[in-house]
Amino acid sequence: MLQDQNVTAGGLDGLFAAYREACPDREPGPDFMPQLWEKIEARRAFAYNLKRLARGIITTAAAASLLMGAYLVVPRHTAQPTYLEVLAAAQSPDDSADSEIVQSVYENSR
Amino acid sequence: MLVDPEVIIRAREGDDAAFNLLVQAYRKRILGTIARLIGRPEDVEDVGQEVFLRLYYSLGQLRSPEIFEPWLYRLTVNSAYDYLRRHRRRREARMADLSEQQVVMADAAAGTKVDQDERRRGRIREMVGALMSAVSEKDRILLTLKEIEGLSLKELEKVYGVNENALKVRLFRARQRVLKVFEASERKSAGAGV
Repeated sequence: MLQDQNVTAGGLDGLFAAYREACPDREPGPDFMPQLWEKIEARRAFAYNLKRLARGIITTAAAASLLMGAYLVVPRHTAQPTYLEVLAAAQSPDDSADSEIVQSVYENSR
Repeated sequence: MLVDPEVIIRAREGDDAAFNLLVQAYRKRILGTIARLIGRPEDVEDVGQEVFLRLYYSLGQLRSPEIFEPWLYRLTVNSAYDYLRRHRRRREARMADLSEQQVVMADAAAGTKVDQDERRRGRIREMVGALMSAVSEKDRILLTLKEIEGLSLKELEKVYGVNENALKVRLFRARQRVLKVFEASERKSAGAGV
């Protein structure tokens, strides 16, 4: 049994050795180097474009942040109405008519 | 080492001419290794280019030129592994799955023009391919590096970054699995021959 295993293991080793011979080191085709450099350049260009895009996005985001900050910090002149203006606005025409009547009654009584 | 360490240092620093020298020195060996690892001659150059592409973009991380070769082997192994994972074994009838008699008949049918030696090599490639497909991609690569490429355990240790004992265990198990398949195919051939 053990001998059988050894024979099989020997056969397997022989097969591996034969495989090594059947697949020798191989010369690359003439296009190997040009294609390799094309791939390198393509990836380099992709990385460069990605970097540019990322830089553009960062710049835009920074500019937008600055603008928003400025918008929040700078005081706005849509001035709030003063107390008197609020009072004037709140006074309806009816109120003014009432006050005229009240005033005329007051003057007649004197 | 096939190149001067100075060339590796220059390539690491971004010298394209030095990188070219590196590729020219190692491409033949790497393509041969890939051919034996993946067993598909038509895709060997693509995987080889992937290896050198990875080398180009990772060379900056190489600490010392002395470990360049295990580093390159590691890149080769990773690329081959990625390739094998993408192209999981297709369910196709392989020559090694056939009986010896069927193989002889297939050989005869292949015509007489084909060189006898090349046919024998083709059959060996098919047989080893079928045997290796019985184990996982990881084991296949490990076995190929050890049994066919002839890397020592020390070299494999550097390639895999794991200790020798763990490698021995993995190798033993992978070899046992392949041995079982080999025995079965031997029995099949013997049965067909009787």
